[in-house]
Amino acid sequence: MKVEGEHLFKAPREVVYEMFNDPDALGAAVPGMQKMVKIDESHYEAVLGIRVGPVSANFSGNLTLTDEVPPESVTLIIEGKGGAGFVKGVGYVKFEDLGDQTTLLKYTGEANIGGTLASVGQRMIDSVAKSMFKTVFEKLDKILEERWQKN
Amino acid sequence: MTEKYFGKPIKRLEDKFMLTGNVKYVDDIEVPGQLHAAFLRSDYAHARILKIDASEALKRPGVVAVYTADDFGDFWKPGPLQVPPPTAIPGSQFNARTLVPIAKDKIRYSGEVLAVVIAESRYIAEDAFDDIIVDVDPLPAVVDLEKGWENTSVLVHDDLPSNMAALVKQEVGNYEEAKKNADVVISKRMLIEHVAAAAMENRGFIASWDERNQEMTIWAGTQSPLTIRGSVSRALGLAESQIHVITPYIGGGFGPKVMTSLADDVLLPWISKQLKRPIKWIEDRRENFLATTSERDQVHHCEIALKKDGTILGFKDVFYHNTGAYDSYGMTVPLNTQTHTISNYRIPNFYSEIRMVFTNQMVVTPVRGAGRSEGIFAMERMVDFAAKELGISPIELRKKNLLRVDELPLNTGVIGQDFVVNILDSGDYLGNYEKCLEVIDYEKFRKEIQPKARKEGKRVGIGVVAFTEGTAVGPYEGCRITVSTSGKVTMTSGYSTQGQAHQTVFAQIIADQLNVKIEDVRVITGDTNQFAWGAGTFASRGAALVGAATYLAAQKVRAKIFSTASKKLEVPEDELELCEGSVCVKGQPETTIPLGTLAALANPMRGVVEPGVEPGLEATAYYGPPHGSTGCGAMGVIVSIDEETCKPVIERMVMVDDCGTMINPLIVDGQLQGGISMGIGNTLYERLVYDENGQLVTASFMDYLMPLATDMPKKLDIVHNHAESSLKVNPLGIKGVGEAGAIPPGPAIVQALEDAFQDTKLEILESNLSPSQIYEYLKKA
Amino acid sequence: MSNKLFPITVTVNGVEYKREVEARLLLSDFLRHDLGLLGTHVGCEHGICGACTILFDGGAVRSCLIFAVQANGHEIRTVESLGTPENLHPLQQSFHEKHALQCGFCTPGFLMTLVPFLEENPHPSDDEIREAIDGNICRCTGYEKIVEAVQDAAAKNSQAK
Ligand code: FES
Ligand code: FES
Repeated sequence: MKVEGEHLFKAPREVVYEMFNDPDALGAAVPGMQKMVKIDESHYEAVLGIRVGPVSANFSGNLTLTDEVPPESVTLIIEGKGGAGFVKGVGYVKFEDLGDQTTLLKYTGEANIGGTLASVGQRMIDSVAKSMFKTVFEKLDKILEERWQKN
Repeated sequence: MTEKYFGKPIKRLEDKFMLTGNVKYVDDIEVPGQLHAAFLRSDYAHARILKIDASEALKRPGVVAVYTADDFGDFWKPGPLQVPPPTAIPGSQFNARTLVPIAKDKIRYSGEVLAVVIAESRYIAEDAFDDIIVDVDPLPAVVDLEKGWENTSVLVHDDLPSNMAALVKQEVGNYEEAKKNADVVISKRMLIEHVAAAAMENRGFIASWDERNQEMTIWAGTQSPLTIRGSVSRALGLAESQIHVITPYIGGGFGPKVMTSLADDVLLPWISKQLKRPIKWIEDRRENFLATTSERDQVHHCEIALKKDGTILGFKDVFYHNTGAYDSYGMTVPLNTQTHTISNYRIPNFYSEIRMVFTNQMVVTPVRGAGRSEGIFAMERMVDFAAKELGISPIELRKKNLLRVDELPLNTGVIGQDFVVNILDSGDYLGNYEKCLEVIDYEKFRKEIQPKARKEGKRVGIGVVAFTEGTAVGPYEGCRITVSTSGKVTMTSGYSTQGQAHQTVFAQIIADQLNVKIEDVRVITGDTNQFAWGAGTFASRGAALVGAATYLAAQKVRAKIFSTASKKLEVPEDELELCEGSVCVKGQPETTIPLGTLAALANPMRGVVEPGVEPGLEATAYYGPPHGSTGCGAMGVIVSIDEETCKPVIERMVMVDDCGTMINPLIVDGQLQGGISMGIGNTLYERLVYDENGQLVTASFMDYLMPLATDMPKKLDIVHNHAESSLKVNPLGIKGVGEAGAIPPGPAIVQALEDAFQDTKLEILESNLSPSQIYEYLKKA
Repeated sequence: MSNKLFPITVTVNGVEYKREVEARLLLSDFLRHDLGLLGTHVGCEHGICGACTILFDGGAVRSCLIFAVQANGHEIRTVESLGTPENLHPLQQSFHEKHALQCGFCTPGFLMTLVPFLEENPHPSDDEIREAIDGNICRCTGYEKIVEAVQDAAAKNSQAK
């Protein structure tokens, strides 16, 4: 499965970039995230509950940040598995400074899924992923708003 | 013989119990003390196993045992070659890599078993999956057949130099020479989709070891109970007499239930013996899609060479066939494809090459249609393309090249699944085709219906194809018929039943031969303690082989009835006849003796039985044909299609079929209609889709679309066109009919679709078409 | 997963049953394995094949999509409530006469779908019958003879009146 998209944040690039390195922010933004712990500078461990059509299950996995070029870009490697299969993905995230204290986030990525998730959930997975991204960005917007305005 | 029953549309004896929920399928059987098994299956299609740790699962309340490959010790080994490849084809290569019951070291398809959980309930057993830690190193998967054939770096079996499972070349005449004289040569690449058998009942297996009697009882929804008995006996080192395999009622077979050496039939008897408890496993639908065998999935590179006048000079087909991760079932399917490609038309020069490929998918074994559908599809399509190229109507081109009655029997020179050269025994191929044109009223469609519809802006098309159905292959089947002292008759055979009405059709033969009421005949199938010889239910062979054996055994019993009665009544045998349920003296109907009485006399409790006389009114007979038979026929369809939605509707379908003598036309029609629905489903709805990682992404009825009542033809006619056999292979003239219906719908429907768009360049090169694919094709046209 | 048991009272084929069940127990499993009513079959457990169809307060529903606890206080009818081998229900008789079943696995689901359908629509057209059974899969018959059987039952029913 391929993913691609963009989102406009109303905050300076450094702030947005920083937020992506903050497990609390990410953890709070991803729907179904039950746990997200920072292991070291670039590794996180997470437990995520997801529901795709008839399949709902917990996934536990790792999130690794590599090729970090603060505050311009970062590559995310995700590996998760659980009772309903596995997900493996890599995402390339770019932060473009559009000036005016706005930042355009662009992402492309590819994910492999397997197990029950693939065999009975494949049909729905694209739309589930889309709605998940939408929710994540909405939540991040809120978090940013709170943080950015506070400062 | 009096034919009160044979050939008549007798209603089924088994119905009233089935209709009221009074029969038992395997999941209906509860053995006291039974435990439930669930299989943890691989999420990956291809991976190395690093670690499987099930220790946590054992702590879960209700879990009794968990096994991984290592726990089976020496018992773990690759299974037998259930069907060996034929040795008679010169130069053929076959790499046997047989199924393993549970993955060890390496996973080769998604859904392969990694661990077996035994628990007090199925719910608990599945809960325990969450406790098992599986660590693997994923590998790229072999999915695409042509790429997989070439690929030598990603190997399904590391010890082989490539993914080649088999390479078989068969040639008749000399294609390349013939091609030189051709006016037209057409080559195409065509895809045949991967489909599931999807019987409504999934598979199921119960193993129950009785420690006190040292006996294993097995209930299995299988098409081959005797194969299971043999393999369990070998694997556990038991005598076959210690193993009793019972097939309860089975909710449809369609091929895959013939497969053995799977996790259930290998591991569960062993576990039952270890735990001394009955173990039950019932497959769920997702497992059925993932890990029960399936079929089709071929890529054909065909070439046809013709004269300008339409005479076919030769045909060449190099095709890739997916065997899945293992090839325990040999080459039955692609060999069927080879024999069927050349089975209809006069093809003096023929070259066919099987390239059987290992892939990271579940094993491929026959599914109703079994290789035949693919061969017929390839040939029928090529004839259509040739007709377009030559500017001859596809009808005329077929009529010109179809075999004629006087050309049969014909030795095609191609060796088939039964390891002997295929012989087209009998049939009026051209007559079937002409009959079909007549019943569907081809002329009227062309002259009136289609032009009228075009004027109204509607798209309708017609397709008429010819087909054959190789049936009734050996080796043999048998049965035993016994008359009880009550006068009731029992027939037992090693064959098993999945809805084919065996309880009725074999009873029809016996009731006529012995002149008893059909209700007084009891047919027992698929119980190894009742009858322990036979090969199993497959290849449209039940009626022909078991039917013939039944007839032969009944003849023997009949002879015994007469000799016993003659002695008792002191009347010569030729003065006796069978009255219903008894023997009477001709012209003296009052002098009768009931069959039950004769049965008692034939089994005296004191006195002397003469030397050479076997006791009882009982006889056993076997029947094995020298080669298979060939059913044949034609199919016509009229399809309309809405250009906006691209959804085809089958307005009319006519099937002309010659399956030889019919024991029961009602049952024959049921077989044909069922086959037709599968053929329609295969063509327009059903498709097993694997992604590039070998993940099956259509493992439920939400994604694997089954044909429904509204998808059937609006009007369907079945015409029986039974040509008297010119070659009497079968004593009753029976050929077989189980798969015929599934074969021709594909080529007929695509021909009709192309016809509906004859003003475009629409050219369909695959066997399965969803509306969105039709849309894509139309965009290109 | 908690194994808490919930008491339920269900009337099945006119008999009242009181049982304690886990919340996750499917009604199909409850009928088959707790009550031993084996005529209800399970072909997919995801609501598509229709083999598990039963009457729930008179309406045809899929018992694999309902938990047993949801049946608490309700009335259920299964294929066992229709006829007996000696005395078939008219629709069962028509299925027999028209050869509308082969392996028989889908049959109880078809019957339980069709019984309320015929009550509501005693003179259906072929198309209406096909629509009515469009949620039931039969792999064996190709549906032709099932449609014939329904027409046969409808015709006999109107003659009888
Ligand atoms: S088992 Fe309930 S719909 Fe298939
Ligand atoms: S009779 Fe077998 S599925 Fe319908």
